[in-house]
Amino acid sequence: MPRLLSLYLAFPITTMQASNTFKQAFLKRMLLGLQLAGVSSKCMTIQERKSAIKLSADVAMACARGSTNWSRAIVTDLSKQEKNKVLLRSILGKDFERLIKPCHHTWKIPRSKKILKRSFRECSRRRKGLRAPHGLATSVLARVLVKKRTQVLKRLIPGGEYLDGSYLLDETLDYAISLRAQVDLMQRLSKAFEASKLGSHNVCTLQARGDSYADK
Amino acid sequence: MDDYVCNAGDLVPLPTSMQSLNNSNDHDTSGTASYIHDQIGIHDTRPPIISSIANDAGKETSTKNSRKRKVENISNQKVGCGNTTKDGTKDKRMKEGTERGGATEESQKANSKKEASGDASKRSMKPAKSECIHVRARRGQATDSHSLAERVRRERISERMKYLQDLVPGCNKITGKAGMLDEIINYVQSLQRQVEFLSMKLAAVNPRLDFHIDNFFDREIDLACNPGVMPMFDMPSKQWNPYIQFNSLHPTTACCGFDVDMCSSDRILGRTMSMSMPALLPDTILDSSLNVHRSSSYPSSWDIAGLHNIYGVEFYQGRRPDLPFQSLQGDNFP
Repeated sequence: MPRLLSLYLAFPITTMQASNTFKQAFLKRMLLGLQLAGVSSKCMTIQERKSAIKLSADVAMACARGSTNWSRAIVTDLSKQEKNKVLLRSILGKDFERLIKPCHHTWKIPRSKKILKRSFRECSRRRKGLRAPHGLATSVLARVLVKKRTQVLKRLIPGGEYLDGSYLLDETLDYAISLRAQVDLMQRLSKAFEASKLGSHNVCTLQARGDSYADK
Repeated sequence: MDDYVCNAGDLVPLPTSMQSLNNSNDHDTSGTASYIHDQIGIHDTRPPIISSIANDAGKETSTKNSRKRKVENISNQKVGCGNTTKDGTKDKRMKEGTERGGATEESQKANSKKEASGDASKRSMKPAKSECIHVRARRGQATDSHSLAERVRRERISERMKYLQDLVPGCNKITGKAGMLDEIINYVQSLQRQVEFLSMKLAAVNPRLDFHIDNFFDREIDLACNPGVMPMFDMPSKQWNPYIQFNSLHPTTACCGFDVDMCSSDRILGRTMSMSMPALLPDTILDSSLNVHRSSSYPSSWDIAGLHNIYGVEFYQGRRPDLPFQSLQGDNFP
């Protein structure tokens, strides 16, 4: 099954860093999205602008990552609102169809239903029946804690409600790496924009310098 | 078609085994399970049970495997001993572990027997088993594959937990799934909050994004991705660099610059974005000429060491021969 492998191929495990391809694709899509959303026009409130920027950032991250569960979930969730759909389509182009396309969950370990049913029966019987009293309370407590936290995690990761176990952790790993790269790139962008704002004020004073340099 | 970077060298051998694990049926899982077992060890929330297995790793898995092979041929029969990891107490497991090696034959003979009742009887049989290592056949294959799959599943989860431990900063000392999950949740939440904050910040800055993207972002991305790589350019005024052509600028707002700072990729980004053109002029944009790959070979003619503190990007106006470039923040010029 290529999916698990692709997870590791996209982000080398040793560094836990997003690849340069990802960063490039992200920046490209992000800027395209910012442009298409029309953030530079004056007629947006700051809230609208913020949501547009966030949308284009998320879409850029999802598109740059490719086809993973969470990336598809992001695009699908965003496109549920009609007003976003047009924008998404224009940002993503043909990738929109690719990411929206429902992909049946093929990455579960194939298990026969008969075996699953039997094991479920055994498990419930085990739970009802004799259980070693030693360590009962702590193990149950630990299990409850873990269960609660996995539920929280499922809500955090886009598209995580349908995953479980190691697949959820896979998605978390991938999503966290992408998020980190997204944050880093957005920080750079904001610094750049600020610098540009700063720089545009200094244009006149520097023109003389430029001319003098041009004479050399 | 996905945008993946194939770094084959970065692959650890484990994922392939995981992949084969996904693909294989129960028949093969025992082999790969032992492979994983040997590879990663077991860090499990229930160490008492697992450590006993780990101690006898080689012996146990080999015998278990041989047993499994035989069992698979016989339907509805199973090896109970090696697979009851979920239940049972520590001492029982240990006993089984130590005595298993000598009793393979008996176990195989005992395979024909079947348990009449469910787990209660299985549990009560345990002490008897440890004496003679009768591996009673469980009821059907369910528990067998279930237990084995359970173990495999736990190993996968613990392996992912290790990776996540590397990812989330400051998690080296945290053991146990609950604490780790807590940290992971906090980390992901903080990252998401950061994204929100940054998007608000970007909204507040309100950039004037009237520039053409393709031109500069190739270069900027190259810079963003390789902050250590500084294209060292000297900017003689008369020299037209065919490699670096950016979109045409309105003369008054034209700017390019020299930057003393080594980490100036952000400033470059800012500089390019400050070229706020009211309208895009695509015909002056020479996308093809903007070749990032060539630019890397470009500075070879210069003394890079001498120019290491000069870093600049030049913007040309496509139509006008005289160069309206200015330096924004550069202080040093050669």
